[in-house]
Amino acid sequence: MSLNKLSYYNSSSTDPYHNIATEEYLLRHVAPGECILYVWQNFKTVVIGYNQNAWKECRVRELEADGGSLARRLSGGGAVFHDLGNLNFTFLVRSTEYDVARQSEVILKAVQSFGIPAMRDGRNDLTADGRKFSGNAFYRTGDYCYQHGTILIRADMQKMERYLNVSAEKLQSKGVDSVKSRVVNLCEYVPDMQISDMRAALLRAFGEVCGLEPAPLSESGLSAEEIGEGARRFGSWEWRFGRRIPFQYEMTKKLSWGEVLVQFHVAGGIVKEAAVWSDCLDVEFPGLAGEAFVGTRYGSEEWDELPGKMEKETHRERMAELVGCLKEEN
Amino acid sequence: MNFPKELKYSKSHEWVSYEQDGTVLIGITDYAQKELGDLVFVNLPEEGDGVTAGEALGDVESVKAVSDIYSPVTGTVAEINEELLDAPQKINEDPYGAWLIRVENVTDTEELLDADAYEAFTKEENQ
Repeated sequence: MSLNKLSYYNSSSTDPYHNIATEEYLLRHVAPGECILYVWQNFKTVVIGYNQNAWKECRVRELEADGGSLARRLSGGGAVFHDLGNLNFTFLVRSTEYDVARQSEVILKAVQSFGIPAMRDGRNDLTADGRKFSGNAFYRTGDYCYQHGTILIRADMQKMERYLNVSAEKLQSKGVDSVKSRVVNLCEYVPDMQISDMRAALLRAFGEVCGLEPAPLSESGLSAEEIGEGARRFGSWEWRFGRRIPFQYEMTKKLSWGEVLVQFHVAGGIVKEAAVWSDCLDVEFPGLAGEAFVGTRYGSEEWDELPGKMEKETHRERMAELVGCLKEEN
Repeated sequence: MNFPKELKYSKSHEWVSYEQDGTVLIGITDYAQKELGDLVFVNLPEEGDGVTAGEALGDVESVKAVSDIYSPVTGTVAEINEELLDAPQKINEDPYGAWLIRVENVTDTEELLDADAYEAFTKEENQ
């Protein structure tokens, strides 16, 4: 079957969980023969792939301290950084109309309309002069498919570098690893390019490549209730951090009271086993500290309560320093 | 493309092997692994979990997409192929050797195809 209907939807929200929930909603409701182009932006967010470990891919604590969010998407692949200098697109279709080459052509044509030498590179990247401005990922459930990606227009590359740069040796995890790429903002080519210019170019290219006139979807036509339910799910700790992907974490650090080695085994985001070793003269503390971590949500605010649960004052102080240091590292 | 005669096949591209001990092995077909491309991760249920005919039992991530895998039978997961969690590429290398789960207490089965019918079905899908 060929395409017989083009629809587009611009999200007015910059909340990543709302936007990912809207994407899922549109996927569930795309009609046979229809292709929806969904265009959206997230405020300061690291989005990790479906099968990735949050702590391995992102400096979660630093991101959250800066007011950013960590989100997990349904599609596979690696971690990306979104901010308001970045524009996201999603093509949502049924499987018989799913055509990665055609969909990518829409993006290329839009970008090329600014005189930028955009091309497809490999399966997942769109590049200009060998530098990636758009990373793409794919999801399929039953008969429903989507392709989505970023378009870097004026994203904060320093923040991207900071949040996505995690030292690899401390955390051993199953799951999918990100691949580092050379990236480029399109404003390097067109300094005064606005997000709204790219939105207009995408819509034009969508109609031209598919040979139909796109019609807008209105927000009132979507179920706020269903999207709200999805946003809660995508924003939940369980979805973002509680995936079953197990991992091992190890940290060695010199603290004021001695050198410490901490090892965690984490599954479903919960510390299943914890061992603390130290050269300090207090033989009791390491064992008690290890026990305290077992059963907690890894890296969560639950750790802030651990010092207060220790009986001795010296243990409370040591635990506070240890927890502070672990949070710093995650 | 390989379609072993001794297996049964679902239209969502899983294979089913009826074992002598009454359990059932489930995997994905050679056609499916070729369509998916190189696999990088596989999510499987846990031992003791229930699976339902026609519903997702897990999913696989390939370089192309994350895709659900559907269970052709209803029953209880007796065993998972843990080797695949560290080496999902084994599904690409040997799709009929790399079973995903073993199911016991099978109470219901989807309509399954034999090898010839499944081969014909994949040819139709590719048109």
